[in-house]
Amino acid sequence: MDLVVLAASSGVEMADYEQSIQELIDAFGRLPGIGPKSAQRITFHLLKSDKAESERLVSAVSSAVHKIRYCEVCFNFAESERCAICRDENRDPHLLCVVEEPRDVVAIERTREFRGRYHVLGGAIDHLQGVGPDQLKIRELLIRAAEEGITEVILCTNPNIEGEATALYLKRVLDIPGLTVSRIASGLPVGGDLEYADELTLGRAIEGRRTLEQ
Amino acid sequence: MGHVTIRRVWLKDFRSYEELELDFTPGLTALLGDNGNGKSNLLEAIGFLVSLKSFRGAPKEALVRAGVDVGFIRAELDDDGREVLIEVELKSLGSPRVLVNKQRLGATRELLGVCSTTIFSPDDLSIAKGSPSLRRELIDDLLTAVHPKNEVVCDDFAKVLKQRNALLKQCNGRLSSDAQLTLEVWDERLVEVGERLGGLRVRILEKLQPLVNDYYTRVSDNSRPIGLAYSSAWRSSGMAASLAESRRDDLRRGISTVGPHRDDVMMEIDGMNARVQASQGEQRSLVLALRLASHELIRQATGTSPILLLDDVFSELDDRRSAALLGALPKCQTILTSAVGIPKGATADAIYYLNDSTLVEARSS
Ligand SMILES: [Zn+2]
Repeated sequence: MDLVVLAASSGVEMADYEQSIQELIDAFGRLPGIGPKSAQRITFHLLKSDKAESERLVSAVSSAVHKIRYCEVCFNFAESERCAICRDENRDPHLLCVVEEPRDVVAIERTREFRGRYHVLGGAIDHLQGVGPDQLKIRELLIRAAEEGITEVILCTNPNIEGEATALYLKRVLDIPGLTVSRIASGLPVGGDLEYADELTLGRAIEGRRTLEQ
Repeated sequence: MGHVTIRRVWLKDFRSYEELELDFTPGLTALLGDNGNGKSNLLEAIGFLVSLKSFRGAPKEALVRAGVDVGFIRAELDDDGREVLIEVELKSLGSPRVLVNKQRLGATRELLGVCSTTIFSPDDLSIAKGSPSLRRELIDDLLTAVHPKNEVVCDDFAKVLKQRNALLKQCNGRLSSDAQLTLEVWDERLVEVGERLGGLRVRILEKLQPLVNDYYTRVSDNSRPIGLAYSSAWRSSGMAASLAESRRDDLRRGISTVGPHRDDVMMEIDGMNARVQASQGEQRSLVLALRLASHELIRQATGTSPILLLDDVFSELDDRRSAALLGALPKCQTILTSAVGIPKGATADAIYYLNDSTLVEARSS
């Protein structure tokens, strides 16, 4: 009977590993999207395979951790003071797209619909997690909006409760003469993350953005 | 979702059951036996299968038979001729695993798309007698059942409210200019979703009222008018004005004091407050009528009847009223339990006798 198979496969055995193996399993297990079974599988795969493969992983992690920092202008990930997008002279300096996380920059770049620059807030307003406007890069955004000759800010926070509230807040504080503030168009899955929207949907959402009434 | 019926249920190490397998008819199945022999547990298993919740409010871990680590519920359903297999693995530690046609299930909502149930249980008396939150829950569950879009409104409201309350608490009674700006943002959102939720509740109560009246007449054998009114402190002046008015109070107490989360449904029998002025028998009839009316509303809205689960409906009714109730039941798959047999003159398509969580006799008429 299938249910018996289901029962037998459900429990993760709690075998006693050597300490270093257990530490590695625990480390993988703390990563997002990796459960205890996957952590165990990855660990044993690495230990079984060629040492060089593990060395490559170690050096890739190590060099990324040491090289990557936040862009001083937009707070995207960068390898130097400014990220590749902020350094790119061909980008439209009048257009600014505000997102929550660096991964959202990647999602929007993939659509090829946007040729302006970005501002990464570092999250969204979420009082349950202790994140208010002060914890986000909003002061920095206001300075950029006032000093960089930006004419349009597109609010691309996630279409969920926290993202919508953050957009509403930004709309209020970005009340600057001559500045258009627009919100990414609906059509994105409600409650979702930009990260998971497909390129076509996200591209259309940026194209079809609407200006917010002050 | 087409016309869905349950064909067979298999339990292993669920509650009082070591193992049980039962076939169900598309019509009326009666589970008979003295109290304490596992009838309600079986109904609970069927309810759990569909909602992944116990209608008795039991924690998931309590559903596994005592002394065992894993329990199972398995059911074969018929969805317009297509067979659907639902398998639930319950653990005494940790959350349950669900397979639909051998596929892992992502969200509960997917399961609700397979099949739904209307449940009446003796505990439902608290809907008439208990706190307003139970009546709000009844209405919000109904909203979700008639249209999945409504669930988004209910969820959004709950989330915005939590955020606003968290902010109020952090303010500690004082409102800085920055906090004020943030509070205004949450107020704007709370007004938007609160007005929508309030409107949805009022409209569904308007639709429910004539159906409740109809069913109350049939199950109580008298035709006293039933009133269902949405009782709300903010709807007359509007959510925005009410929030502005209560802001000082909200800040001082660190919580949102007005809104749909504080509303109630006033239920009246012949102009009398059913919560305090009705007899227990009247309250029971009223709640049963509410359940059956909700069932009918879901059928009208979705074009498909939920499966009707009735736990211990006859215990406080005489034979004549019990028979009247059976006659008034909607034409859909119905599974009921009774410790007093089925009323004289009434028939069931299948009758099972349970003793000590074991099937002792099966009869179909
Ligand atoms: Zn940058």
